[in-house]
Amino acid sequence: MKHSKSLNSQNKQEIRTGILFLVPALVLIIVIAFYPFASVIYMSFTDRTFAGARDPKFVGVDNYKRLLSLTIKPIPQKADNTYEQAYTVLPTKPIRYTPLKEFSFLSKRYVLGASDADFYLAMFNTIIFTICAVFFETLFGLTIALILNHKFKGRGFMRMAMLLPWAIPTAVSSRMWEWMFSSSRIGLFNTIGEKLGITNGQFPFLIDTSTQLWAIVAVDVWKTTPFMALLILAGLQLIPAALYEASNVDGANSIQRFIHVTLPLLRKTIAIALTFRILDSMRVFDLFQIVFGNKLYSISSFTYFELIQNKAMGYSAASSMLIFVVLFIIAIGYIKLSGGVKNEH
Amino acid sequence: MSTKKNIKRFASYLSRDNNKAVLSVRSNKVIKNILFYMLIAILFVNLVFPFYWALNSSFKTESQLAMTPATFLPRDPTTNEFSLSLKNYVYVFTNGDFLLGLLNSVIVASTTTILALIFASLAAFALGKLRIPMKTAILYVILSLTMFPQISILSGLYGIMSDLKMPARPAMILVYLLFTQPFTIWVLTNFFKDLPNELLEAAKVDGATFFQIFYKILLPLTVPALITTGLLAFITAWNEYLFALTFTITDKSSQTVPVVIALFSGQTIYNYPFGQVMAAAVIVTIPLLTLVLIFQKRIVDGLTAGAVKG
Repeated sequence: MKHSKSLNSQNKQEIRTGILFLVPALVLIIVIAFYPFASVIYMSFTDRTFAGARDPKFVGVDNYKRLLSLTIKPIPQKADNTYEQAYTVLPTKPIRYTPLKEFSFLSKRYVLGASDADFYLAMFNTIIFTICAVFFETLFGLTIALILNHKFKGRGFMRMAMLLPWAIPTAVSSRMWEWMFSSSRIGLFNTIGEKLGITNGQFPFLIDTSTQLWAIVAVDVWKTTPFMALLILAGLQLIPAALYEASNVDGANSIQRFIHVTLPLLRKTIAIALTFRILDSMRVFDLFQIVFGNKLYSISSFTYFELIQNKAMGYSAASSMLIFVVLFIIAIGYIKLSGGVKNEH
Repeated sequence: MSTKKNIKRFASYLSRDNNKAVLSVRSNKVIKNILFYMLIAILFVNLVFPFYWALNSSFKTESQLAMTPATFLPRDPTTNEFSLSLKNYVYVFTNGDFLLGLLNSVIVASTTTILALIFASLAAFALGKLRIPMKTAILYVILSLTMFPQISILSGLYGIMSDLKMPARPAMILVYLLFTQPFTIWVLTNFFKDLPNELLEAAKVDGATFFQIFYKILLPLTVPALITTGLLAFITAWNEYLFALTFTITDKSSQTVPVVIALFSGQTIYNYPFGQVMAAAVIVTIPLLTLVLIFQKRIVDGLTAGAVKG
């Protein structure tokens, strides 16, 4: 009996030590993540301002209303067949609406107004940015991974080159690309563009609305494709060579082999990489804030500007809660699709 | 050449041992090799070129930067001879803001790394080797934090830090600890799990305490994983921008290097000093490049651990 008693006390000690060892990390996570997060939830229902003299008031869902309110109003036609200015038909009280988009429906003209057009535009920019960037990153990443999955001289060197874009701070690479995108021939792209006869050498890539989003998608693709390729490559290298040999015996050609052997086995790796990339680009901040300042917002840079420049803490908190909800839905969707996160081997 | 042919050629080159070649296997192989290395070369140029352009620009003077068209090497505006200037580097190295930023970055990133490794290795030992209740739930919470959108706690943290009047540097270190804990704990836990249990049992029989087992026996064995995760933690902290920018908004002397570079201003407000910025960019990238050069395999292993094992 003595033996089992000492075992029992050893078990207790093991649990005690385990908990003790976990305390620093868990306390940190609770203090730095959960407490501020709870305070953001609370703040999003108040009109707290930064460095405001008066105490914050509880305002219910006002912040959310102001962020999300949309309205559609018909635009009346004037006698000379032209239309009224869109903003004149939108409500101004209690919140002023600004026109987001005008459109025609059943030969009548309407305007879509938002109480915070910037928020919707930021959301729109972020989603377009995410879709484009992640699409190209996955496509190129997969191609590059397939190429690099061959043994060749200089593979280590190549891997180093692939880590270069990833290792450069985004704040720094944003400035590097901004310089290459300069709107005259002092910039790389206008120099090349003019040589190839594509631009007149004066094209404002970052200002023109048809190219500005594409320009920063290019920066993100440059920075993150190698990362994607490395992830997929790691997945590729786990595929047993025996499977390829078997398909060789069966007389499969390389395209069949790719579709029937490689792709199904890569599905999980790609799904994980994709989810992390989507979550990551949905919170893009550095690129937008540095390259566009307050001329073109991402949802994160919008939240930042509300907090720092407008000093509207409550409003900014509500905006960040909305980001959280969107990302949470994406993450849950991913966990559902992948059949749960496995913590054990 | 038609696209179809191209695809076919690409496909045949992808297949490892295409034995169908009747004419000359060898010359076929040479062509394949040339094509393959051409692809590699194109890829390489695309990856490295933006950095080369920064390097190129950093060696140009104001008047060389203003040349149209831009030159691929620093050239003299009148004679077009190769001419390289170190003016930007001299300026950057005598610029107090930049040097202070470098110092701040070193302090913040290395403190973060050391603390992150201490906290995470303790937690990972408990989660990987000890029998404790709710292990799975704790790991689940930690893992889910990797998906946590940082922007959503920005206003909350900013409010708390300014209520507590906490200086920017410790505030940054705390936040970066939060960012780095999930993946450090995750990778280290997997590493601890893979260490043989016999080590632990034998030490227990010898009467070692759990702390001794952790510190004297298992920790030395995890050094490779510590290096990998430490590097990733360092780079995360070194490169972070959002919180560094927010926390130092009223305290310029605590700005880290990414913030200094993003907010760099020259002698005149009309002219953003790209030459100096490119020099600064090259300088901050070099420590990272050195780390990547030495530890590339470990970094790749660390980066991909989550995706492959997850």
